[in-house]
Amino acid sequence: MQANKKIHSAVFVVAILLTLAALPQRLLAQSGSVQVDQVDPGDVNIESAFRVAIYENLLVELAKTKQFKQVFRDGDRNASGPEVLILKTTVQKYTPGSETRRAVTTVSGATKLNVRSQLCTRDGKVVVERIVDGNVRFFGGNLRATHNLARNVAEALKKSDLPAPTLASQERK
Amino acid sequence: MVEKIAPFEQRRQASACLLLLSLGAACLMAQNQGGAASNPTAATRVTHVLGFESIANNANGKLSIQEHTLRFQKSDGATGQVSVASIQDLTLGVQDKQVGGAAMAVGRAATPYGGGRLISLFSHKKYDTLTVEYLDPNGGFHGAIFQLDKGQGQVLKDELVSEGAHVTAPEAKNAGK
Repeated sequence: MQANKKIHSAVFVVAILLTLAALPQRLLAQSGSVQVDQVDPGDVNIESAFRVAIYENLLVELAKTKQFKQVFRDGDRNASGPEVLILKTTVQKYTPGSETRRAVTTVSGATKLNVRSQLCTRDGKVVVERIVDGNVRFFGGNLRATHNLARNVAEALKKSDLPAPTLASQERK
Repeated sequence: MVEKIAPFEQRRQASACLLLLSLGAACLMAQNQGGAASNPTAATRVTHVLGFESIANNANGKLSIQEHTLRFQKSDGATGQVSVASIQDLTLGVQDKQVGGAAMAVGRAATPYGGGRLISLFSHKKYDTLTVEYLDPNGGFHGAIFQLDKGQGQVLKDELVSEGAHVTAPEAKNAGK
């Protein structure tokens, strides 16, 4: 009876180890660092406050996910090396809303944002590309749309299959 | 006797007046020299929306320009500052916001017969927003947004520009798109 128990637990441990070994390295490893570029307004006439708020919220939300070792700002001299990925954000649609209209009518006055997020390597190769929305429909100020957008971008990147730093450098070679 | 003393008294009073005047002038000159060195501007009451390092979002405080530095001071004493020379761009905007915060929002929602909507119609206020884009010592780009009373934004922007803050012309921004 005792021997059976020992065998069962040994088999269980071996099974867990085999499962872990079978997982791709990229799922186990924490990705390298990321540098968040300034938000590109594209052809959209978006207020500077929104552009800056998206950028600052992205930095905060990406740091919260702990998916990257470090999150650098655009132009940071410490963000060097091939393992640093670059997050580019381009605004595709922007619908300015009104907090008062939302409060009075409930159904109108929503602030809507739609961006294209690209995670690129230093040499310009796109690793991940996602189209993400960020809206504020009921409660809160207009700038809350930028917070929702940044959170959605961070979640989308977390769900995507990012290359581990070692794999990325091997691919480049 | 009286005739002899009177001119002497007059001369003494005149010299005392001269001495007082020269002392006053010296004090004023000293104050002016001190003022030219620091030239602090009157602090403006603002709400820090986001972006200024080491300051919490939506914190209330005073924004002032002292010794070529833009300084935000919270009411509890915490400060954040950035050199005016590191400012890359300043942009003004206008926002229409509901007043009263979360407590008022709950009150409006609880008002029966849609009365909350009617309250919302009148309980809003326009604010100026000042967006400050600057670089940190590592060259990293930062953006901070401040919310000010209507009309205060342009005053603060003008003060910053006169102190040497860099501002991108709107035409250049459009060309950059």
